Amino acid sequence: MAYAPQDYKSELKPIWCPGCGDFGVVQAIYRALAAVGRPPHEIAFVSGIGCSSRIPGYTTTYGFNTVHGRALPIAQGIKLARPELLVLVAGGDGDGFSIGGGHVAHAVRRNVDLTYIVMDNQIYGLTKGQLSPTSPRGQRTVSSLEGSLEDPVNPLLYVLGYGGRFVAQGTPADLNGLTELIVAGLRYPGFAFINVQSPCVTYGRVDAQLKVHKATMKPLGPLGHDSADRLRAMDLAGEYGRTLYTGVFYRDPDPPPTYETLVAERQRAMAEASASREKILEMFVPR
Amino acid sequence: MTTDLVIGMAGAGGDGVIAAGEAIMTAAARGGYRAMMTKSYGPQIRGGESSFKLRLATEEIFNAGGMLDIAIALNWDDFLRFGAELPVDGRTTVIYEAASGVGTDMLPLAGVSPAEALAVPISEMARASAGTDAASNTVVLGMLAEWLGVPEDSLLAGLRKRFARKSPEILAGNERAFAAGVAFASTHQLRADRRLQTPSPPPAPRLLVDGNEMCAAAAIAAGCEFFSGYPITPSTEIMQFLGREIWRYGGTMLQAEDEIAGIGAVIGASFAGRKAMTATSGPGMSLKSEMLGLATIAEVPLVCVNVQRGGPSTGIPTKSEQSDLFQAAFSAHGDVVRPVLAPVSVADTFRMTVEAFNIAEQFQTPVILLSDAEIAQRKEVVDPIDTRALTIVNRRRPNERELESYARFQITESGVSPISQPGMEYGNYLASGIEHNERGAPTASGEMHARMTDKRIRKLAPLKARRDLFSIEGDADAPIGLVSWGSVSGVVSEAAAIARREGIRLKLLVPRLLYPVSEEIYEDFFASVRAGLVVEQSHQGQLFRIIRMYVDVPRGLESLARSGSNPISPHEVLDRVRRIVIAFQRARVPEAEPMAG
Repeated sequence: MAYAPQDYKSELKPIWCPGCGDFGVVQAIYRALAAVGRPPHEIAFVSGIGCSSRIPGYTTTYGFNTVHGRALPIAQGIKLARPELLVLVAGGDGDGFSIGGGHVAHAVRRNVDLTYIVMDNQIYGLTKGQLSPTSPRGQRTVSSLEGSLEDPVNPLLYVLGYGGRFVAQGTPADLNGLTELIVAGLRYPGFAFINVQSPCVTYGRVDAQLKVHKATMKPLGPLGHDSADRLRAMDLAGEYGRTLYTGVFYRDPDPPPTYETLVAERQRAMAEASASREKILEMFVPR
Repeated sequence: MTTDLVIGMAGAGGDGVIAAGEAIMTAAARGGYRAMMTKSYGPQIRGGESSFKLRLATEEIFNAGGMLDIAIALNWDDFLRFGAELPVDGRTTVIYEAASGVGTDMLPLAGVSPAEALAVPISEMARASAGTDAASNTVVLGMLAEWLGVPEDSLLAGLRKRFARKSPEILAGNERAFAAGVAFASTHQLRADRRLQTPSPPPAPRLLVDGNEMCAAAAIAAGCEFFSGYPITPSTEIMQFLGREIWRYGGTMLQAEDEIAGIGAVIGASFAGRKAMTATSGPGMSLKSEMLGLATIAEVPLVCVNVQRGGPSTGIPTKSEQSDLFQAAFSAHGDVVRPVLAPVSVADTFRMTVEAFNIAEQFQTPVILLSDAEIAQRKEVVDPIDTRALTIVNRRRPNERELESYARFQITESGVSPISQPGMEYGNYLASGIEHNERGAPTASGEMHARMTDKRIRKLAPLKARRDLFSIEGDADAPIGLVSWGSVSGVVSEAAAIARREGIRLKLLVPRLLYPVSEEIYEDFFASVRAGLVVEQSHQGQLFRIIRMYVDVPRGLESLARSGSNPISPHEVLDRVRRIVIAFQRARVPEAEPMAG
């Protein structure tokens, strides 16, 4: 059975501001899910807290809108419990790289087959405009009236640095390109990270809006970037905040087995025909 | 002959003290004795002092015992470091290494003169028989076999098993060391008779197991398919056991990057339809608080074990305390009630762990299993448990009709709603930490919030009627009432039995369900009670205070509470009970209603 994008669209009306980049992201997700073609009930969509983390509710999949920064551990639990599910994770830059930053390294190194979409707007929108971990140095916000004194996190290098095997960046200014990236991430057998420059229309910088993206973005494909070249990918990722490269920075052409594959192998290797939960206490009889 | 004996032994790391304790315990268990053993270590990561305290008895016992009948010091410095954990008094037989040069009239036991002290050339005998000091613990085993009358065959079989993997020379040396110990003891009879009566053989083989292993095994019996946690003393063995065993049953163990991720993965797995558990201790519980709230509002079943240790913060990681009850009951923001269960022994840990899963699944709630280091690290001889007779509860799935227009958080009469899982067609819903309506859509409606909060609390009401989660021993109409929980209740149980033999009319209530508080069960218990004690191992008397939040307690109810790991002994409880009885009788003289008799 084939699915159309609208099969993944729920009846809930987004709380986002008109013009928010996240509208484009959710459209790209509907299209990507239709292209992959898994029925909505076989998909689990997990998020943290923030404007963008409302996104699972706008789909018809099983959704889990969890707590701030903890979507990744919960998503890994889901995937390990039911490897047959397609598991998506989404959230904002604060959710993923500030409060939840500690979990990213472990999701990367564990290599559970998840697709993690970060809607990076360099601001805390839900709490009305404070500095975020990706806000550029010098940015003035309600919590940094005289300008930020810190360098931003570079989400692309962060994931690449921990050994991420699929790292991409997109923008809703190029909906087709973004859809393709999400499809590629969903199809990638392992942890896939897609950083989406999704502008905040209310608190975001003027120079970081969709119109500017459209005019300045540099698709990596036409530049002739070889996505199997990890070192070059890191060079290009280093331009985060200066040049808006879009496309796949790095895709390990030879992906290793996923964590859940290894788990299944171990379960098979250790399964005993005689293993019965009722007999578990027998090992305690002293002999 | 005796029916009940407590042995304590201490030495330096590498002396094989624990191995000796395990050997005696295993032989005793196979011989039909009841036994409990606690181990204790110095704070060093490796090579520090270690000790065991082993109680052997012919009848069922409920705690690891108080004063030592036999104390064995391989060296005095190490022995003395354990202080109150290896208590010696005028009834104790003290055996110690003669090479220490300490005269029997110069023992470094402040203010105590033991019944008997014997300086034994333990290491000299080990060298003479086995050619190495390392066999000292085997010499002690031989002596104890002779003095206690524990079957030598069984101990020797244990030795052979232990040294089978090493060289034949090492085994032969240890057999000679054992024989030397036996020979020494047979020519040095103890003044006090320490020989144990032969117990009646058990109808079926008993188990030898510690609390953490029992908890993990019970999780498997209950159908646990997913565990995730983070190493933390004194609960880590639960994770290690499941990391070894769970795969055989198609399950998964994930060692998480931190405590929060551990419970997060468990929430994910349970949302996906698997029975799931995490385990930790105090600091980990603090970190898991927010996730526990998520499980409450998203109505995700899970079991969270807290093996309590001394707190706050790092506190005393290796020692037992019952000071996390307030945290278990109240560490949540928002209007939250979540069930808290506490086992009283290793054996009871099996039943309570299965109950924790059943309650979690039945009511779609996180359940906190509040164990403590004493139970978790204590090895016990446990009566066989019929795992085939277990009741296993599974979560209520939606039926076809309910899936036609599925409302995950439907406000039902019981408050429990049908729960689907990813993969189930037409069961799609949004689970969330944000308040939601019956279909799972986020809402900020005060009215909906009130109804949902009520549903989430109301659904747990049937728990309060679970009289099987409370045990009462003693005279139903007794005027003296004792209440205790967790490992300490085993001490109080022994004190209560002695008091009743003395003719004091009392009864003891041991709640396994600590929260929500069952007002009715406590009120029924207190109906005849004029005075009594709530006994527990926390400075504030946390159960005492929680009971008083919900129940009109008798005016004469007092708290006997002390921080861990300062042991509360049966005799201490008994002394307080006797004082209460005297005060009570004075007050009641005119009415001439005898307390005793």
